[in-house]
Amino acid sequence: MSTGGVMTNTLEVLGIQPPMTDEAFIGLKGEPDDGDILQRIRRGEIDRNADLISRYQRHVIRIVSRRVPTDRAEEITHDVFVRAYVGLAQFSGSVSFEHWLAGIAVRTCYDFWRGRKREELPVSALTNDHQQWIEQTLAAQSEEQFHNQVRRHEAIEVLEWALGQLSPENRAVLTLVHLDGHSVREAAQLLGWSLVNVKVRAHRARHILRTLLLERRRQEDDTTQ
Amino acid sequence: MTRRNDEHLKKVERALTEAHRSRQEPSLGPDWAFRLMRDIQREAVGQGQAMIGLGLDRLVWRTATVAAVVALVFTGSVLFYTNRDAVELTALLSNEVDVMVPLSE
Repeated sequence: MSTGGVMTNTLEVLGIQPPMTDEAFIGLKGEPDDGDILQRIRRGEIDRNADLISRYQRHVIRIVSRRVPTDRAEEITHDVFVRAYVGLAQFSGSVSFEHWLAGIAVRTCYDFWRGRKREELPVSALTNDHQQWIEQTLAAQSEEQFHNQVRRHEAIEVLEWALGQLSPENRAVLTLVHLDGHSVREAAQLLGWSLVNVKVRAHRARHILRTLLLERRRQEDDTTQ
Repeated sequence: MTRRNDEHLKKVERALTEAHRSRQEPSLGPDWAFRLMRDIQREAVGQGQAMIGLGLDRLVWRTATVAAVVALVFTGSVLFYTNRDAVELTALLSNEVDVMVPLSE
């Protein structure tokens, strides 16, 4: 038996967790799993955060860039990882680290909108180009025409205009449930809110969005007539 | 809401949903990860100092509690024994007085 083996056995007898060898850490697949990395970070190996960052930065930026202005996405993604590190003690492992991190990302974006004062929000109005985009989207006959419309930058601008009319709470729920396609339960878990709260807000937010779009259409019809 | 309006709304909603899902992710700057790691290390130092601060606070409060209990016990014992001594001294003196009663009686 090697000296390392003897030491490990002695430590186990004493009830002390033996130090993880690099071979065990890396595992058979050649990449350490999240649990091992987290364990090392908790023991004080701060540099192991780099492994988590490189593994999940695309996952986080994907969530963040769909929720905040593009020029703030990098900064918010940064905040998400710092918040994750600070709150690591609260990660129980009952859900995957990826899911837990997604929750932090969603809540950080929600906090971003909550922190912005109303007057700071850009008062975006729909221009003729946007009205035209709506008309052309409605007139699209084929799927190809429809997808061409979706790819135009006016689509995102109209969406941003509509989301800008909602409260941060309604915005967060509408984005999760109606735009991302999460279930109400998943949205509630990610936001850390009650199921009823999310259900009510999802319904209310969609109703507001539809009313807004309908009003635009009515105004446009009035102008045409 | 008319059926036509409802269909129109659904079509615009679908277009907006698909536009949302096909958003391009911005790329992170070259020194982004470096800055992030630097900030995480700062947080770690801050947390360490907070832990030390928390430890010192606990130590001070525990020491204060123990000191207060010891002081209470000491005061109690001093009062108890002082009173007992006084009683014993009184008893002793009274005995002495009794002893001093003339034997002739």
